[in-house]
Amino acid sequence: MESVGPFEFRECISLMKSTGEKAKTLRELRDLIAIISDESIYHHTYQYYLRRQILEYNNDFAHWAGESLEESALSEYFSNIDPFLFKDIGELRKALLKVIDDYLERFPEPRETMPGEEFYFNEAIILLFPEGLRANNLAEFLIAIKYIDLPSIYYHFYEARVRLGSGIDDFSKWVEGGLGRKDLAAKIRNIDPLMHTLEGIREHLAEMVEEEVRKDMEVVPR
Amino acid sequence: MIDEYSGIAPKGDLILLQKLGEKMKNRSFLHVNSTRAGGGVAEILQRMIPILMELGITAKWEVIQGDSRFFDITKKIHNALQGNSETITKEMWQYHFEVNRKNAEGCQLDADAVLIHDPQPSPLIEFRKKGQWIWRCHIDVSNPVKEVWKVLSRYCEKYDAAIFSVQKFAQAMGIDQFIIPPAIDPISEKNRELRGDEIIETVAKFRLPTDRPILLQVSRFDRFKDPMGVIRVYQIVKKYNDCILILAGSPASDDPEGEMVLNETREAAGNDPDIHILLLPPFSDIEINALQRIATVILQKSLKEGFGLTVSEAMWKGKPVIGGAAGGIPLQITHDITGFLVHSVEGAAFRVRQLLNNPELAKRMGENARAYIRANFLITRQIRDYLSLWYYMENKGRHILEL
Repeated sequence: MESVGPFEFRECISLMKSTGEKAKTLRELRDLIAIISDESIYHHTYQYYLRRQILEYNNDFAHWAGESLEESALSEYFSNIDPFLFKDIGELRKALLKVIDDYLERFPEPRETMPGEEFYFNEAIILLFPEGLRANNLAEFLIAIKYIDLPSIYYHFYEARVRLGSGIDDFSKWVEGGLGRKDLAAKIRNIDPLMHTLEGIREHLAEMVEEEVRKDMEVVPR
Repeated sequence: MIDEYSGIAPKGDLILLQKLGEKMKNRSFLHVNSTRAGGGVAEILQRMIPILMELGITAKWEVIQGDSRFFDITKKIHNALQGNSETITKEMWQYHFEVNRKNAEGCQLDADAVLIHDPQPSPLIEFRKKGQWIWRCHIDVSNPVKEVWKVLSRYCEKYDAAIFSVQKFAQAMGIDQFIIPPAIDPISEKNRELRGDEIIETVAKFRLPTDRPILLQVSRFDRFKDPMGVIRVYQIVKKYNDCILILAGSPASDDPEGEMVLNETREAAGNDPDIHILLLPPFSDIEINALQRIATVILQKSLKEGFGLTVSEAMWKGKPVIGGAAGGIPLQITHDITGFLVHSVEGAAFRVRQLLNNPELAKRMGENARAYIRANFLITRQIRDYLSLWYYMENKGRHILEL
């Protein structure tokens, strides 16, 4: 049995706070993105993965552009922004503004949303707490992955990338640093966070880890 | 009681509740609303108070008392806040305040946190003694009659924070505003699992035919719930698919218009033997539970809605729900995934027909719906959010709170 430091599962929940700001046109959205708090930008981009149900969009701006503004191309441009590539919120904010500026240059008069369909800028208050689960080895980790709440996967797989930087998540960090399994860590890092729902991430992780555990258990006749 | 949610509610919510309970142990949390029976607020409070107590919090619930004049006024205020043209005179506002002043004399308002539900008891802020005061607005105030909102907001802006169910209800106010959707209780009589024999026994008294698909809407008899529209939906569907329609609702003591709308609904139904209008007494929880479980398709065709808890109730039972795209309904139904959102009688009829003709689609949608409600709309999440808010207010300025 491997002797390693345990993986402590944690979870975060968010309490949504309204900034009181809303945009009914793309120009209003642009002006507000330029000045809204970092917490709000964070909420509408990184934290989108905690809430999303459909893979069509990658952030609230893309979702709004597609569903409320009905500007499909703009929605695609927004969705193409990978928030994990930016070193800070300031850079991400610039990228969002550039998408809008480029779009407005080509299509200066995008439509206005219907009343009630405006973009509402919110922030999130995060509460962080232990999930009450600990994995001492890969087999325990596999069981935990199958049963932890989805917000725990969000915290360790998405939020960790912002916390740790360089595209590293908590799971692959532990698998590599704690268990010395570089190949498995690389496989986990290859899961594209933008292309899956949280349930999809859970399935991929479980599949990869299970394969590794099965290999460990196999007895090769000599 | 908390243990009963184990295996039903998300584990993280239960852990966080315990942790927040430890932080707020022996502190007092007062809820005030205007009715003990009928409507989503009273229902949630009946369940929430014992849970808060079990967490070690001194939870209290006060109901303000008023006469029919008071409730006529507050109904008008309610309607005006939902965008209906109403005039609230100076005298009416004065009476609204006076009734609250009298109530304040009889209520113990000196709690560590006070949550005032909806506009009826909002003037109680004038009699604040201590603690954090939060105004909890359950109704759709996205497009209120401006004059009415202006007067009411003089009270609301004196609170430390306001809570709205949906982000688009939030108003320009000088206080912090939070978005907390309401929720259902999965172990209450209205939502718990029912055995087959319990369902049969419970619905037997209504003498409903069960040989055809059942369309159901459960709601108060209120114009904003569009019961007449639901009858028109049924009439369109009936031309293609034989089915029956059940409209079931309980009266609420703070809704004087209910009887009028009920009579209009009965008139619209005429003498069609396949339309069943069931006026259920308050606390008909097991009856509603059983009706939702025998239904094939459930409608909530609201034109205006605070949140529409009946949508979550139906979704929790794994049913496909067709909801009007109003208020909090789009928050519960992701169109084409966890249900259908509609904007017209015709749209609703089309979706009913689609579901009646595709049982597999109905099943898949129902399964998605149940999973979504589990993650987002159970009472454990709502209590978690209220306590998180209270905790945040006492640790202001920090966006990340570690427990």
